[in-house]
Amino acid sequence: MPRSLRIGARLALAAGLGFIAAVGASGQGRGGRGGPPEPPKTGKAGALYDITGYWVSVVTEDWRFRMVTPVKGDYTGVTLNEQGRKLADAWDPANDEAAGEQCRSYGAPSLMRVPGRLHISWQDEQTLKIEADAGQQTRVLHFVFADDAGSSWQGFSKALWEMVPVGRGVTPVGSLKVVTTHLKPGYLRKNGVPYSANTTLTEYFDRVNEPNGDAYLSVTTTVEDPVYLAQPFLTASHFRKQPDAKGWSLTPCSAR
Amino acid sequence: MKLFNCILVFAGALAWGQGLDFSGRTNLPAGPDMSGTWYPQPGQDSGLITASGALVEYGGIPVNEAGRLYALAWSAARIQGRQHQCMGYTVPYTYNQPGNLRFWEERDPYTQRLISIKHYWQISEGTRTIWMDDRPHPPAYAQHTWSGFSTGKYEGNTLTVYTTHLKRGWIRANGLAQSDEATITEHFIRHGDRMTYIAIVNDPVYLAEPFSRTYTLMRNAKEPDGWLYACDDGEQILGRREDQVESYMWGQHPFLREFADTKHIPLLATLGGPETMYPEILAKLKDPQATEAAARAELTPASGPPHVSRAADPNPHDGAIHILPVQGNLYMLVGDGGNIALQIGDQAPLAVNSGAGQITDKVLAAVRKLTDKPIQFIVNTNFGSDFTGGNVKLRAGGHDPSVEGSFFSGQFADAGRGATIIGHQNVQNHLLALKQPADGWPSDTFIQGRRRKFHNGEAVEIFYEPNATNDSDTIVHFRRSDVIVTGDLFSTTSYPQIDIKNGGSIQGEIAALNHILDRTVYQHDEEGGTLVVPGHGRLCDEWEVAEYRDMLVIIRDRVQELIKSGATLEKVMAARVTADYDDRFGANSGSSATDVFVEAVYTSLKNPPKAGSGN
Repeated sequence: MPRSLRIGARLALAAGLGFIAAVGASGQGRGGRGGPPEPPKTGKAGALYDITGYWVSVVTEDWRFRMVTPVKGDYTGVTLNEQGRKLADAWDPANDEAAGEQCRSYGAPSLMRVPGRLHISWQDEQTLKIEADAGQQTRVLHFVFADDAGSSWQGFSKALWEMVPVGRGVTPVGSLKVVTTHLKPGYLRKNGVPYSANTTLTEYFDRVNEPNGDAYLSVTTTVEDPVYLAQPFLTASHFRKQPDAKGWSLTPCSAR
Repeated sequence: MKLFNCILVFAGALAWGQGLDFSGRTNLPAGPDMSGTWYPQPGQDSGLITASGALVEYGGIPVNEAGRLYALAWSAARIQGRQHQCMGYTVPYTYNQPGNLRFWEERDPYTQRLISIKHYWQISEGTRTIWMDDRPHPPAYAQHTWSGFSTGKYEGNTLTVYTTHLKRGWIRANGLAQSDEATITEHFIRHGDRMTYIAIVNDPVYLAEPFSRTYTLMRNAKEPDGWLYACDDGEQILGRREDQVESYMWGQHPFLREFADTKHIPLLATLGGPETMYPEILAKLKDPQATEAAARAELTPASGPPHVSRAADPNPHDGAIHILPVQGNLYMLVGDGGNIALQIGDQAPLAVNSGAGQITDKVLAAVRKLTDKPIQFIVNTNFGSDFTGGNVKLRAGGHDPSVEGSFFSGQFADAGRGATIIGHQNVQNHLLALKQPADGWPSDTFIQGRRRKFHNGEAVEIFYEPNATNDSDTIVHFRRSDVIVTGDLFSTTSYPQIDIKNGGSIQGEIAALNHILDRTVYQHDEEGGTLVVPGHGRLCDEWEVAEYRDMLVIIRDRVQELIKSGATLEKVMAARVTADYDDRFGANSGSSATDVFVEAVYTSLKNPPKAGSGN
């Protein structure tokens, strides 16, 4: 065997054994070598950062679509297909009120954009709860789940801490990723810009801390709807951490 | 040999498993790789393409009174102004523009350590460097740029960047200004082919609270073609006066309600302010009469005394002289009153101004750090004590070999002993009248429009600027170095100190600034090229001079309008005609106090100086 190939073979073997060593080590968790494998961490125990507490929305993005109800037919920035536009143009809040569906613009794809406050807490070791005072909605993020649920405004959300690969011995880093399905049809904006029951919502929740003590929670959202959207609808929103529940004000859904 | 193979394989396995490289150094993750080309997501904030927005669309922006009034006075016609046509973009505004972005890393070729992360943006062809090597930020008297000075660090999966030294730019190009005092914290978080971008702007001048916002950047699947943004300014309106800067009088914005009415938004909400960012505003907007009354109150300055500047003083005031290389042969010496400019070269140094004279020994020591030759010439740009206070000592420490042994030696026994002081004749006249020591008077004076010299390998032009801050102002242009020293005509720390009694006037001040702008040439999009050393404050270029000129023209026009309506000085003062600039330049005492400045504007408009008086 030529020398270069021999070295290459050695390196390949080294890499292979290294991979086995790495997998084995990661299976051991932080418990060190030799002990019995630790069970996988729960969503709460494996949290990469703390997002619990009270947060107030800071409405500096898409202000005119969020702070006031846009006029009918103003779906600027949302790549609706023809069917979606037809539905948006037919929006009548009175119909929603009559049908008892005032919460159409408070579903998971739009709830994080509604001006208001969030109260985030661990419901249990594997379930994160996001309560919104605006519309009195509650989202439940499941870190373990049975893929079976009926449809609702908030749908069914699967959560995981998505890690960025780092070397061993380094504090894990990453983001909270949430994928939501099983949604009742609703509105991306209050003026009837629609999403369908086939919508998939993907979100990243990230926390950043400022030197002055402020903390922000950003929510980066992708709405994919094969029924009404020609392209995915992307938004980013953010919240500032509050020390307490000040300003928490439960308000019912409003169709207008 | 077999043993070697075993060791190599075992070491490799161990290294991979432990996250170590073969050198044994811990292979720490630097952070997520953000290299590649990106573009801002379309969709969010549609209608704000290039972040401009509609006129009077300020909802969700935490402007303070000054920020709102600045925007309400801003006319889109101002973009036609020569120095505004190619204005560059600042962060975070630039990440919400429709062009392409390229991110790449710069690494040390030998150690592969990360030195910086570079961002290039198509719009305005801006390049930004985010230093990752823990270097300190420059001093406050250093130049500001569109992209500022940024340092970064990885925090988990986040690149966090802190930026200072920004030029005055836009929060939104509909008049919502971000001041040159703003500092920015940014967070870049990569999620596959998407990147979350969070920016927090702290601006003590125009914001009442930090302005935070998020965008999403999308990774390009392939390298895009469009990377350039050609811009070159030219006059767009025939016959436009040099001292013409379009603006609206407060309360007279012709498009005040256009956005509000079109979008069915109460006017109060469109005027911005911190409260418009939070959910509580929704309840407030439910009372139309109250919101209308509140909105009306925000269209003009609140009554009360003028605000004082919130800008940091760029002078360290630490009893030391600080040396800042400018460009070419020029250095800026900071720390003793007015800035001193020093030209060095093959011949002896030429200084422009001598400072306040408080620590001239340290000025001389600073000069000796740069050259072993004694100062040959000192140019005084006016007679003010902040610029001539060190004349006697600085002159004494110098030497002018050009007159030693010449026919001057026959006339003056001390010819060549000490530096030669050059200035307009009125500098000498004033110093004489003030009974200043004769050794500190200019001995080489001129009365015509221009004094020329060729020194240290370049043309040096000294221009008289009549009836500006007083009747003795000059600017000095070093043509090869491409640096203009303005003396008291231009400052980044205060309104101009217009001395009416000694021949100053707002008209002359504006004309002098326009003369400076006639001589400057920017390198790219209102940045670089000719650099400008102000009398006080940080090193600048054309952009800051243009902004200063614009401010003075706008204030002049307001005062003129009030005079036309019969306003007395007291009424002009009460109108707070400088309310959108006081948080940046205002002072409540001293010769540069806001009231002193406004009175000077008023007086010089009521009693204009005769053309060329004092010349």
